Amino acid sequence: MFSLFQRAQTVSNYVLTLVTTMAAVISLSWLLQLHFSAHGEIPATIAINKAVNTMKYSRNFGGRPNAGKENVRVAFDLNADLSSLFNWNTKQVFVYLVADYEGKDSQESKVVFWDKIVETKQDAVLDLTDIRSKYSVWDYSPTLHNKTATFKLEYNIQPYVGPLIWGTADASTQLQFPEI
Amino acid sequence: MNLRQQLGSGLSMAMVLASAFAFWKLFSIVTLSNSPIVVVLSGSMEPAFQRGDVLFLWNREQYVDVGDIVVYKLHGKDIPIVHRVVREHKVKEKSKKVKKPQQKQKLLTKGDNNERDDLPLYSYGQQYLDRDRDILGRVFGYVPWIGYVTILITENVYCKYAMMAMLGLSALLQDE
Repeated sequence: MFSLFQRAQTVSNYVLTLVTTMAAVISLSWLLQLHFSAHGEIPATIAINKAVNTMKYSRNFGGRPNAGKENVRVAFDLNADLSSLFNWNTKQVFVYLVADYEGKDSQESKVVFWDKIVETKQDAVLDLTDIRSKYSVWDYSPTLHNKTATFKLEYNIQPYVGPLIWGTADASTQLQFPEI
Repeated sequence: MNLRQQLGSGLSMAMVLASAFAFWKLFSIVTLSNSPIVVVLSGSMEPAFQRGDVLFLWNREQYVDVGDIVVYKLHGKDIPIVHRVVREHKVKEKSKKVKKPQQKQKLLTKGDNNERDDLPLYSYGQQYLDRDRDILGRVFGYVPWIGYVTILITENVYCKYAMMAMLGLSALLQDE
């Protein structure tokens, strides 16, 4: 009456339903819990101490041998408390320092200067003084000097199961990129 | 064994395949992405995404944002890559077809676990990804390790044969 194929199909259907339902329940309760633990109001401060602009001709820094690109690096202080983003379904929080600025012809840009993977609640309180940006940043156009950028701290919460969530910490600062 | 029974079981098998295909295409239309569900193949986004994890994509926004994890496929390469957007530039660009300059979004990506950005991965001379041309979708949901089955089947020949043998046997033994 019941063949091997039918049995396998019934079992796999059952497993699939179970997994889907559990994933849905887990993500919903996780989202609710995050909502009530003040997700979205992350206290933070950013201060840019130093910015250096150099001309680079290497392809690794966006340039070409006959056409250089201005590369900016910064040093900054950062304080942020991300511990409210951690609970039983949070696998990691990816936190990144971004700058957005405008260029000619209503060009809009947003670039990452620094990022960090935070895996545990114990590491979630960031207190960094005078650290250097991880990346040397160049623009789509050849120059960066005199453009005014707004720096912000953003984060991405990644779960064990469920949706990914993005947010912005409550801090920002402005900087005009220096001349070479 | 009569012919009617065999035809019937063949029909139900075809039904299963057809409905799976229909669901896949339905997902494609809803998410506006060519491949709305992908399996992670490399470790460049560890520890967040490991090999075999399943990602759900969404592709209905005009622009993706910095910090988003996107799946992109380079022109002329088969394997899609899952990495994070670290730079975006919205620029006006002229094309051959349309005379008026069009707003385009140029992107630079990087794997969280990699030392540097993806510039060496791109085609020779390519500096940025294009939102419309290269991006398959933005990751919005995550389920761990259930996609490992597909990795086993595609990368291990014996696993493939075993699967075929199982299917064949079950078809033969069906009516006993």
